[in-house]
This record gives sequence, C-alpha cells and structure tokens, in this order.
Amino acid sequence: MAENTIDATFAALADPTRRAILARLAKGAATVNELARPFDMSQPAISKHLKVLERAGLISRTREGQTRPCRLETAPLKQVDQWVGNYRTLWEDSFDRLSQHLKSKPKR
Amino acid sequence: MSANKQDRAFVITRHFDAALPHVWKAWSTAAEMQSWWGPKGCSIKVAAFEFRPGGFFHYAMHFPEREPMWGRFLYRNIDKHTRITWLNSFSNETCGITRAPFDMAIPLEILNDVRFAETNGSTIVTLRALPHGASEDEIKTFEGMTASLAEGYGGTFDQLAAVLAKSA
Repeated sequence: MAENTIDATFAALADPTRRAILARLAKGAATVNELARPFDMSQPAISKHLKVLERAGLISRTREGQTRPCRLETAPLKQVDQWVGNYRTLWEDSFDRLSQHLKSKPKR
Repeated sequence: MSANKQDRAFVITRHFDAALPHVWKAWSTAAEMQSWWGPKGCSIKVAAFEFRPGGFFHYAMHFPEREPMWGRFLYRNIDKHTRITWLNSFSNETCGITRAPFDMAIPLEILNDVRFAETNGSTIVTLRALPHGASEDEIKTFEGMTASLAEGYGGTFDQLAAVLAKSA
C-alpha cells in the first residue's frame, strides 16, 4: 500500500460527489451506470471520480462480464483510524507529563 | 457509543491545575517544551526553537538504543495566552520535511490548533488536529466512517451511508 495512503484518503474525500458515491457503495456494490444515475452526471465524469477513489484504495472494481461492480474497501479507513488512535496517545501521554511538569513548578 | 467516538476524534481537551501564564510558558519556551512534549519513552533535544509565526521548533527524539528521529513544528499563528496553530511533521537533521521513518501510515503534515482558556485559576487546553489540507467535511465523513467501522462490519454500513449522505 502506498505510504501516503492517509493523505490520499483525505484527498479522495474532499469532493462531495465522491463522498456520495461512497455513501451509495456503503449500501452494497454497484455498477458505474447505477452510480451515475442519481448524480445527473455523464459516465466519463463518474469514471473519473471512481479512478480517484480506486487510487486511494477506497473502492475496488472486479470484472464480472461487461459490468464492473464497485465495492467499498475499508482498509484505508482503518489505517486512518489507527493513526488517530496513535496521535491521541501521543498527546494524552504528553499532557500527562505536562500536568506533572506544571505541578513541580512553584506558583510564581 | 458511536456518537461518543465521533466527539473524540481529533479533539483532545485537558484541564490543568495551573494559571494560564504558567501553561503558556510551558508551550512557548524550549526548556519547558522539551520536558513534557513528545512520544512516550523518548527524550527530546531541541535543535531550534523559534516561537513566532513562520518559525520552527526542530527537535530530535532520542529513544534508547536507536537512531534519533527528527521532527519539526512550523508555527503559523501565535495569539498570546489564547491560541497556537502549527504544522507538525517528521523531518531530517536539517529541518527538511520527511515522511515517517518507520512503516506506518501517517499524514505528511498534521495541522494542529490548540486553544487556551482560564477559569478560576485552572487552564483548559483544547487541541484539534487534522491532516494538513483536509477540510471539516472530510473529517466529519471520516469520523462517521470510523464510528461505523467500530461497530464491526460484514453487512451493510447504514450509519456510514447516513453520514456520507449528510456531508455530500
């Protein structure tokens, strides 16, 4: 997986259409046609968004005959979740030390 | 439970039993900063401390029996006794930005925003953090996703779908 997945994940989420596509895919796999329908967008326009999502690892596409259903992939989201957890820990630990540090100082 | 998790993501609040000027000094001087800030188990050595907008806090993180890792704060806004914003990233010895020196997905730059407020002699510190360049909408989307993930998956993601639909 690319080392900048988290940045790519957030970049992919920057667009409201892409968020809406993910919302649709959270309910189950869908073809490009099915995804294009509610957006009043051309198929190429939707395909462009799908490429961004695919590059970020947020969706996958399989070959099933002519249609290529898209599926939501959760691995990048879990990676972000892990980072959030680690970053929280870093600050909770630091704040613990800051609290001790402030206690050790005379109240000037 | 999920709502709770959403509230928590990227926001940390802590009360300190100290007057605001003391807390502010702990953030604004090199000697104090290196005594409390940093990952657990490492000691911080300050290479540069320029506490002003556009200035760097450049530091080495020393862990036992390991090569030091370097990091930096690039200060953006400093509003005395009120607020500090900065970009945090890993760096090299010469303060150039780098990716994390270990195999873990971490944003290249993290935008931090810390606010200070004093009530009755104690100080409330609230830190918000998000990947640099990410918007509130993206964060909300993401928070909805993690809440959904936390509930386990295998079926559909109704909650995730609802959150995404709202932010679309």
